[in-house]
Amino acid sequence: MARYGFVIDLKRCYGCYTCQVVCKAANHTPKGIDWARCVQAETGSFPSTLRQMLPMVCMQCAEPACLEVCPTGATQQDENGIVTVDQDLCMGCKYCMMACPYGSRQVVDAWETYFPDAEGALDPYEAYARKKWDEKYGSGVATKCDYCMDRVKQGLQPACVEACPSKARTFGDLDDPESEISILIRREGGFQLNPEFGTDPSCYYLPVR
Amino acid sequence: MSPQGVKEDVWIPTSCGGCYAQCGILAHRVDGVLVDLTGNPETPAGSGRICGKGVAQLHTLYDRHRINYPVKRTNPEKGVHADPKWQRISWDEALDTIVSKFKNMKDRRGCYFQATTVQTSEIRFAIPAFMRSFGFKNYWVSGGGLWCGNGAHFMNGITHAAWSIIPDWTYNNYTLYFGCSKGHGAGHAALQSSQWVADARARGMKAVVFDPFLSTQASKAHEWVPIRVGTDAAAALGMLNVILNEIGQWDEEYLKLKTNAPYLIGPDEHYVRDRDTGKPLVWDAGAGRPKTFDDASIQDYALLGEFEAQGVKCQPSFALLREHVKKYSLERVEEITSVPASTLRRVAHEFVEHAQIGSSVKIDGQTLPLRPSAAIFFRGSQGHVNSGWNCLAIDLLNQVVGAADVPGGAMGHGPPVCHGHPDTGKPETIPYTCKDGLMIVKGWVYDHKPYPLREPKPPTRLDLQDMFPCSVYNAFTIMSPDWEKYLEDFKIDYRPEIMINFGSNSVMTMGNAEDVTENFLKKFGFVFSFNIYQNEFTEAVADIVLPDCSFLERYTPCVTFPSTFCHPTGMDHWVWQIRQPVVDPLFERRDFNEVMLELAKRLGIQEKYYAETNKLIPVRYGGEMSPEYALDPKGDYSWQDICDRVLKDRLGPDKGLEALKQTGLEKWPTKVEEMYWRWFVSVRIPIYFEFFKESGEKARKLCASFGRENIQDWSFYRPLAEWFPCPSHEETDPDFDLTAFSWRPSFHTQSSTQNNPWLDEISVNDPYVYLIQLNEDTGKAKGLKDGDDIWVENKLGRRIKGPVRLVQGMHPDQLGIAGCHGHWARGTPISRDKGQFFDDLVIVDEKHTDSLTQGTDACVRVKIYKA
Repeated sequence: MARYGFVIDLKRCYGCYTCQVVCKAANHTPKGIDWARCVQAETGSFPSTLRQMLPMVCMQCAEPACLEVCPTGATQQDENGIVTVDQDLCMGCKYCMMACPYGSRQVVDAWETYFPDAEGALDPYEAYARKKWDEKYGSGVATKCDYCMDRVKQGLQPACVEACPSKARTFGDLDDPESEISILIRREGGFQLNPEFGTDPSCYYLPVR
Repeated sequence: MSPQGVKEDVWIPTSCGGCYAQCGILAHRVDGVLVDLTGNPETPAGSGRICGKGVAQLHTLYDRHRINYPVKRTNPEKGVHADPKWQRISWDEALDTIVSKFKNMKDRRGCYFQATTVQTSEIRFAIPAFMRSFGFKNYWVSGGGLWCGNGAHFMNGITHAAWSIIPDWTYNNYTLYFGCSKGHGAGHAALQSSQWVADARARGMKAVVFDPFLSTQASKAHEWVPIRVGTDAAAALGMLNVILNEIGQWDEEYLKLKTNAPYLIGPDEHYVRDRDTGKPLVWDAGAGRPKTFDDASIQDYALLGEFEAQGVKCQPSFALLREHVKKYSLERVEEITSVPASTLRRVAHEFVEHAQIGSSVKIDGQTLPLRPSAAIFFRGSQGHVNSGWNCLAIDLLNQVVGAADVPGGAMGHGPPVCHGHPDTGKPETIPYTCKDGLMIVKGWVYDHKPYPLREPKPPTRLDLQDMFPCSVYNAFTIMSPDWEKYLEDFKIDYRPEIMINFGSNSVMTMGNAEDVTENFLKKFGFVFSFNIYQNEFTEAVADIVLPDCSFLERYTPCVTFPSTFCHPTGMDHWVWQIRQPVVDPLFERRDFNEVMLELAKRLGIQEKYYAETNKLIPVRYGGEMSPEYALDPKGDYSWQDICDRVLKDRLGPDKGLEALKQTGLEKWPTKVEEMYWRWFVSVRIPIYFEFFKESGEKARKLCASFGRENIQDWSFYRPLAEWFPCPSHEETDPDFDLTAFSWRPSFHTQSSTQNNPWLDEISVNDPYVYLIQLNEDTGKAKGLKDGDDIWVENKLGRRIKGPVRLVQGMHPDQLGIAGCHGHWARGTPISRDKGQFFDDLVIVDEKHTDSLTQGTDACVRVKIYKA
């Protein structure tokens, strides 16, 4: 029993999009599906301008907005606080997509190749990735980041944490006050994104300056 | 067989080829299919991390648009946008045609090799060995002139014995960035640098970024200083003026012992030399008389003052530099750069304060100077008429405070000093001195060392590059509509005949596509090309295209030496990494190296090829070859045999190819004497570039003897650093009110990655990469809205179109475009029409070329209007 959480250090992140790409490789997400997208935008005015990088993951909220709207009970919360989707129960109504204030859910309407202009059969990698995806998710159901639980169960870090070139991401147990993420949040003023949504996210950010 | 029916599940160690950082990676193969790429935790080159561009290579390996079979052009019409009408042919037909073209050449010197920068190891010896054995000298590393570096590499070679410089983030507290993104995804030890700079930032390291736009590094910095492109030397010399003449602080000991600052300079701007030995003289302030620079009895080197030696009035070069920089008053510099004088003055003060001149640190029992300030630069600084001097002027900041190759300072990336593997002593690269005491690199990436300068001689190359003293790449001749006139005037008695292209796309990386194609590439009667995609180059001009292996399908004996961009700074490990196939090549793809070896054999030049390989290995990988592993000219070797011999020779008999395939690498700890080498190696470097003057004078006379004295501006060949303007800085037409520049997103590598669907996906979502960036107030004043399509037009009427992104993070006079996008090749449909092709605006001619290094000026004065 734990409450799994993320800390993303905005001081360290420089917006290279590695998280976004590595997530695709690790989870075989199809075209257009990004569970770990990195949003970038500019704030301030010349010359006191800042380019903000905001890498996103599922917030695994303690009070998930997606959970209460799910009509079939497909959305569940496991004992470690990870919000999951039972693909057999999900009917693809997209209520959860609308309810999630962080845009963390996506539905694949129909699997598409990345190479629409190419002739012939899928290449060996895309064929492999499609098979993996179909085994776990398929089309017409809600999908989302689950902090790479398959990897975590094997003792590995989530893929985006392992790869992050600037070590901006830390994964751990929010319930353990001595975990690295708990210490980081306390010591460096970790904050939740839009806490006013009232969902109590498990992903914390460390301030950019 | 596992329960799931999986027959194979393996992780193979190899090296990434997504950019030139060459990080160590692990390739996950399941039942013969590559299914994942991750970082290899065993190597310091990446230290277990991987970037998005690296992971995305999964798709490049299997991309269904790749070339799988040899093809020939059936449409004889060549040109930008031409449809070659490819026809599949057999390897036999392809190689027979190529061999017969080679054999029927009028003059073998008319060959030209063009290669990509990314597959660094192939260009170290396999290509030069072929060139030397077949007998030609024409060579171009694609993008070298425009996307890579003349000024930076050459000048870093002179002052740091290295291809590049990078801060020592272990100790650095203050870095000035000029037009570079090291530590923010750039391929300079990309993954380690990212971690180390983030660590440094977290502990309070400050970065001040001089850039025309709010780049990634500027976003992460303590301070962004908007500056006009190409004015870096003016800013640096202005700050040097503050340091030397207002603050009056410098590292005396460093300047006296590690530079030519004390060398006496006569009225002729040359060293005053000892009559007997010819050695440069210094003034011994203790003895009150001149002595040769290396006289052991010197009590104190004078850095300032006026003296008389050998009957002439003279001054130490440092005194001249100090006087010289007074020209760069901050008021004048503000006018040139647009950076407020108060900002420059403050930053100069901060730079000196953070340098902590006089402080020291103990590392591994050795006490070393600690200088935690660094000034670094790369592409942005050097892509200008003032390429060479921009780089040298910035580096002078490091030199005057002694922050060069010591803890905390600006480090020769590599580092350039290597004592070799403990078992073999190779690669061994320790710089040594010329007779004047100045540093000469040992082992170098390029054929000509940065110093001593190349002796100007009548040219033998088609680009005339070998006539210039400091040139690395030279495009203004070959891209000119008057190329033939250059060849005639300089009495080149042969003409272009065959181009061999390895992986490059020069139609998109040298300048305007029409100019490259019409003036240069179409002059070759026969072009054959090794590529993984049909790109703008192959479609425009290639006659035969051979399906190359990607870096995940080939063997390479070494990717981390010569150490250009692979090793981290700070105490870590040296690593010798190989590449190996992680899957068997699909279809009829064949490795470039094997094909070139076969061509050498079929042309009957393999004996020479082996002999030249034996000569190149010692230069590139430091140290003579042992007879046991040198190639026997009478032998018969496969590419894997050659890899095996190189490995055993450099690393030991038990570390051949089979052994390295298991680990992917061999590593050993770096020593303090290597990483922080400056005070361990008895060499000086110039702060006064006495030798430029003489060299330039020789080159001028040489060019005059061919009737082309004005081919370059010889006033660039001077001893003291200067800022020279680009044509863009001198434009007076009020319609052309913006200066356009290009920048390199970290998630693309020049023109080679845009067809990757994952990288395209992030580029589409990125708010900058596929858009033209313009200052919001400037744009609004022109009646533009965010997202409007605009034309960007240069003085020649050449224009490119794209949606504008109005941003606050852009200098009001400037306009930024991410480089190398806007592809149009049929062979790469994912990349087609995404982003803009900046190079189409670049003007390549004598005026837009650095007269010192022949680097191409990549900033362009433009006007914009709604499309």
